Amino acid sequence: MAKYELQETTEPNTLDEMFDYSLPPKIQFDGPLVEEIDGKQVVFDPAEALQRDLVITDTTFRDGQQARPPYTVEQQVKMYDMLAKLGGPKGIIRQTEFFLYTANDRKALDDCRALGHKYPEVTSWIRADKGDFRLVKEAEVKETGLLTPSSDYHIFYKLKKDRRKAFDDYIEVIDAAWEAGIRPRVHLEDVTRADFDGFVMPYVEALKRRSEQVPADMHVKIRLCDTMGFGVSTPGVKLPRSIPKMIHRMTHDIGMPPECLEWHGHNDFHKVHINGATAWLYGCNAVNTTLFGFGERTGNPPLEGAIIEYIALHGDLCGIDLMMVQELAQYIQTTGVDIAHNYPFVGRDFNTTRAGIHAGGLRSDERIYNIFDTTKAFGRPPRVAITDKTGVDGVALWVNEFLGLKGEARLSKIKVHKIARWVMDQYEEHGRMSAITDEELEAQVKEHLPDQYAARK
Amino acid sequence: MDRNDVKARVYKVIASVLKIDEGQIEEGNSFTADLGAESVQSVELMAGFEEEFDIEMDEDEALGVQNVGSAIDFIGKHLD
Repeated sequence: MAKYELQETTEPNTLDEMFDYSLPPKIQFDGPLVEEIDGKQVVFDPAEALQRDLVITDTTFRDGQQARPPYTVEQQVKMYDMLAKLGGPKGIIRQTEFFLYTANDRKALDDCRALGHKYPEVTSWIRADKGDFRLVKEAEVKETGLLTPSSDYHIFYKLKKDRRKAFDDYIEVIDAAWEAGIRPRVHLEDVTRADFDGFVMPYVEALKRRSEQVPADMHVKIRLCDTMGFGVSTPGVKLPRSIPKMIHRMTHDIGMPPECLEWHGHNDFHKVHINGATAWLYGCNAVNTTLFGFGERTGNPPLEGAIIEYIALHGDLCGIDLMMVQELAQYIQTTGVDIAHNYPFVGRDFNTTRAGIHAGGLRSDERIYNIFDTTKAFGRPPRVAITDKTGVDGVALWVNEFLGLKGEARLSKIKVHKIARWVMDQYEEHGRMSAITDEELEAQVKEHLPDQYAARK
Repeated sequence: MDRNDVKARVYKVIASVLKIDEGQIEEGNSFTADLGAESVQSVELMAGFEEEFDIEMDEDEALGVQNVGSAIDFIGKHLD
C-alpha cells in the first residue's frame, strides 16, 4: 500500500514562505542540530544561533593580499569605504585587519581609519613576536591578531620549538598586549591539524583563565584557523577536523563565549563557505572572510557568500546594501584581479543561461531559472547567452530584454524567427564555435526589426 | 477561402521552409516526427503561415499545432 498520496491542487505551490523572490531564499530550520560528542547527544539550537550577534570580519587587506601583488593605499581605502557601506549601519561587516610591516600597510590603516566609519573596526595582524608588537603600539590599534601556530607541524618544523617553548612564548606576547591596553585576538594557525587535547585545549584554557584578570572588553578572542582547508562540517567527523566538535569543546569545555570565537578558513577542499556558515551555527559569532574569496592558495570564505548566507538565515537584509557587492566586484577587477565568469553572485555569467530549454523557462517565469530577484538586489537581470544550444526561446528572451519589452508588449518567438535562423546558420552553415556577441545580435535586431529597434529607449 | 485552397498554400509553405517536395507531404504528417522539422524550423513554419495568409497567430496556440492537418484547420478557423 502506498504511503503517500498525490495531492492535487489548482494553484501551484511556489513555497513563497521559503522562496520570497525579493530576497535570497531563507534557510529555515525545523529542528535542532544534533551531534554525538564524547558519547553524548549534544543539541545545538539554530534559533539560539540567530539570537547571537553573528558578524562577518574581513581579511581582504591581509590574507587577501598574501595571494597577489599589494593593493595601493588608494585601492585599500576605496574598498574599505565600500565595505562600510555594504555592511550597513549595524556593522554586519564588523572588523577588518591590516599588516603593519611596511609604510604602505601603515598608511592604508591610517587612511582607512581617517574616513571615520564606525564599522568595519580597524584591527591589525602580527606574528606572536615581541618585536612585531612594537608596531601595534605605534599604530594605536585597539585589537590585534596574533599568529600563534597550534599544530606540531608548525611548532616543531617551522618554528623549531617544542610545545612548552611555543606555549610560553605565545603567553608572553599576549600578556604584553594586555599590558599595552590592546585586546589580543589569538589566531590558532593550523588548528584543524593540531593535537587538540595535547596543545590546543590547555593553551586556550590558559588564555581563558588569564582573561579573567582583565576587563570583559579586553578578554582574549580566539580565531580558529583552518589554514589548509582540512575542516569538515559533516556530523560525526573526528577531531581535529570536525568543526562542530571543535567549537563545542571551546564553548562547553572551556567556556569561551561565542562573541570571542571566530572562524577563518581556506578552500583547498572546496568547503570554505559551508565551513564558515557551519561555524556560525555551532557557536562562533564571527566568520573571517575576504572579498570574492581571494586569499592564500585557494582562498578564504568569500565575504559576499557570507553576506548572502546572513540574509538567508535572518530572512531580512538587516541594513545590508547588496548593490555594493556588484560595485566591489567591478572595482576589484580594476586592480588586476580576474573574477571567473561563472563565479556566484558577481561573475559575468552567474545568472546567464545558455540552454534553450532553460531560456524557455525564463521566458515563462523568471523565477524558474533565476536564484532570486537579482535585478532588484544587484541590478543584474538574468541573461541569456546565445549559442547553437539556446534555441528560439533564448533569442526571443535576448531580443525582448534588449528592446526593453515587457508583458504583453513582448515579441513572440514567431516574430524573431529570422534572427534565430541567422544564429543557427552561424553554427550549421559556417561552423562557428563561439557564442554570438551582443553587438552581433544588436545588428540583427536593427536589420530584421527596424521599427522596434528605432523605438528602443 | 475553402479548405483545399488553404491546404495548397500550407503545403507550399511547408515545402519552402523544410526544403522538401510537396509530394512528400501528407495531412497526417507530424512536422517534427515525420517531416523532420527542427526547433527553429517549427517557428519558421508558423512565421511562414502568418506571412502567407496575412494573419497574426497566438504563439502558444500556433506552436501547439503539431501536424499538417491541424495546421490547415487552425489557419482555416483564423480566416473565418
